[in-house]
Amino acid sequence: MEAINSILPLLWFGLVALFLTLYLITDGFDLGVGILTLTAANEENRGIIINTLSTVWDANETWLVCTGGLLYGAFPLAYATIVNALYIPITLMVIGFIFRAVAFEFREHSLNKTFWNFGFAGGSLLVALSQGLVLGGVIAGIKVDEAGNFIGGTWDWLNLPSILVALSVVQGYILIGSTYLIFKTEGELKEYHYMTAKFSSITTLIGAMALTIATPMFYESVRNKIFHQPEILIFESIPVIATGVMVLLINSINRREDRMPFVWTIVIFLITILSLAFVVFPYIIPFQVTIYQASSSLSAQAFMIAFIGFFVPIILFYNIYLYRVFQGKVFSSHYGD
Amino acid sequence: MSFHLDTVMLSRIQFAITSIFHMFWPILTIGMSWYLVIMEILWLKTQNPDFYRHARFWSKLYILNFGLGVASGVAIEFEFGANWAPFSVAVGDFLGSILGFEGTMAFMLEAAFLGIMIYGWKKVPPIMHLLATTFVAIGATLSSFWIIVANSWMQTPAGGEMVNGKFIVHSYLEAILNPAALNSWFHMILAILETALFVIGGISAWYILQKRHQAFFSKSFKIAIALAVLITPLQIVVGHLSGEQVYHNQPTKLAAIEALWETVPAGESGPWNILVAPNVREGKNNWALSIPGGLSRVLEMKPHLSQPVLGLNEWRPQDRPHGVSLIFYTFRIMAGIGFLLLGLMIVSVIQWLRGKLAVENITEQPWLLRAWMLAAPLGYVAVECGWMVREVGRQPWIVYGQIRTADAASHVPAGNVLVSLISYTSIYLLLFACALYFGSRIIRQGPDLELPAPNHTFLDDRNQENITATESEISWKL
Repeated sequence: MEAINSILPLLWFGLVALFLTLYLITDGFDLGVGILTLTAANEENRGIIINTLSTVWDANETWLVCTGGLLYGAFPLAYATIVNALYIPITLMVIGFIFRAVAFEFREHSLNKTFWNFGFAGGSLLVALSQGLVLGGVIAGIKVDEAGNFIGGTWDWLNLPSILVALSVVQGYILIGSTYLIFKTEGELKEYHYMTAKFSSITTLIGAMALTIATPMFYESVRNKIFHQPEILIFESIPVIATGVMVLLINSINRREDRMPFVWTIVIFLITILSLAFVVFPYIIPFQVTIYQASSSLSAQAFMIAFIGFFVPIILFYNIYLYRVFQGKVFSSHYGD
Repeated sequence: MSFHLDTVMLSRIQFAITSIFHMFWPILTIGMSWYLVIMEILWLKTQNPDFYRHARFWSKLYILNFGLGVASGVAIEFEFGANWAPFSVAVGDFLGSILGFEGTMAFMLEAAFLGIMIYGWKKVPPIMHLLATTFVAIGATLSSFWIIVANSWMQTPAGGEMVNGKFIVHSYLEAILNPAALNSWFHMILAILETALFVIGGISAWYILQKRHQAFFSKSFKIAIALAVLITPLQIVVGHLSGEQVYHNQPTKLAAIEALWETVPAGESGPWNILVAPNVREGKNNWALSIPGGLSRVLEMKPHLSQPVLGLNEWRPQDRPHGVSLIFYTFRIMAGIGFLLLGLMIVSVIQWLRGKLAVENITEQPWLLRAWMLAAPLGYVAVECGWMVREVGRQPWIVYGQIRTADAASHVPAGNVLVSLISYTSIYLLLFACALYFGSRIIRQGPDLELPAPNHTFLDDRNQENITATESEISWKL
């Protein structure tokens, strides 16, 4: 019983992290492509760019719906406290989502597309920025009482490091969006996004370096965690590995490879998420509430794992099938062609 | 009814507005997904490309609704934590699991196969496409099931108990199959199908009346009538059972629905109110127009009540719902629409049987066609009214008899909620207007009757598009 008690929250932490990772990668390129439509040379190009998403965007966004649901089910306290504390960035994120989601269809039907083009790109940017602020706010720490309920202020999440995180997240999304477009388009568009990919890989690298230095500097809790033996070895090797992959990425861009820039970007995303998980674990509200304290009851977690554990492989299977059906380059700006 | 705009009230208004707005879109996406399944089956069975074109045409309206549904649904998911954190923590064991289920086993299925359903016509063979559409429909329907289970549990909590302010689940099966769950879900899914049918029928009637694509839209018009034969009467039966369930499990809500202040003892029949002016402060109706002896017939279909019907004055004012007028009238609007749609179905069937709806003479029924057009939005009105009865009638509880709404709201400054409320409201008004505008544009443009159907030899000649195109032309000239 004791063993199950400690394994289940661990398992759920892993499962929530898996869903969040899938979300950050899939909707990451989705949002990045959305931001990149701002720079499209003409309406035809913008149409093609958006069309690379038309078939997958709703499934991509659903990873967030699932992550939210699973976080709520497995760690109700963490879900409630984090979302409550970050009221403003979460609301901004939702508003961004709303504009993005409706712009897909509304721009297709409207005669003057300008408003919805901005709605789509602006919505994507708003979502990316607010997700960065959410992440920054969580790392900055959330004030809670002994029971784990939020007791901080409205603007606690807004500070220099969280703005830095937000800007870096935007860069990261633009990078993965660019490399996705390299993979999904041909010709002029592809060539253009080699350029944006190269540019954003450098800005992402700068952002990541600044964060690696700034976060432990600003937050004692982070400092305590990562300068602790033996973890320090892991945390020292992460920036080295990440920089190495970054070199591989820039190389593959320079060599005008088709698929590899996207693959290397995914690897960079995985390294980043993994290192974040290392910093946070075993907390779920960083350095305040552990996964054990925030867990729903044993029976709830067991009940959920029995059903959702069964569905996870099925979900992965049909999502892969979805991508396979629509594999290959996109040439047309008309949905479904 | 007096209230001041504190965080709780603002959070309630925001939740009401965001859910009222959200409700508009899934109705059509769920209902229409089953209609699209039917169209595709008919197409594959008859090889008549008109059914394929029906599927393509209606799915344009479907996809317009889908984006709005997703976006407004995400808003609600995060509101649970943002505005109702204490509630979310207290009931997380149950509600969280259910929302997790909804996302992973239902919504993901819908969202993933939607891509294939809308954009995959040229990418997968027709039979695979039908399968994708069916998965979309199943996913959407399962989604509605889990959401209704979660909400029903808030109406009639079961399967556990409150311990130190947290709901501990003893039996998930009992909690999922709480007294309100199955009945409410049947009621809701029928409402969804009924609304979608009358939207499809109403739009088809408009085309027929305009003498545009008469033959094409007679098909969808008649399919709508045929399905309404099954659904409209069934909905009235299930609606009645829903009322009975409320009668047994939520006596305060029932008393508010009937605007009943004083208890009617067993053995009597009691009046059934048609129009009232409730006076919440004094606990009475200022005036009432009622059918004497109607209550027992409405509730139990008997001349005398088998058990007493409790009046609102049995509870202290703080323990009973305050929006009595709202509950009373929205209930009557909902039920009235149910009967109206039943009546329209009966008239339509009679005209059909008299041979008045044949393609040649269907336009000679302008009044019937106009009635269908007017009926198109009624389903939405009924659904929104029904939800108001359900949610306002549950007050002052967020979980009936267990957690008060007043104790459930997050400690967010009222100003924050006011700003988010104003933002949501103005954005939603804009989007609602746009959705109507773009929806009517799609309808005015009409279907593409030249659209060639994908050929059934698709699988063999995936790469020889020229050949398959000619073949398909030949095959439907025959």
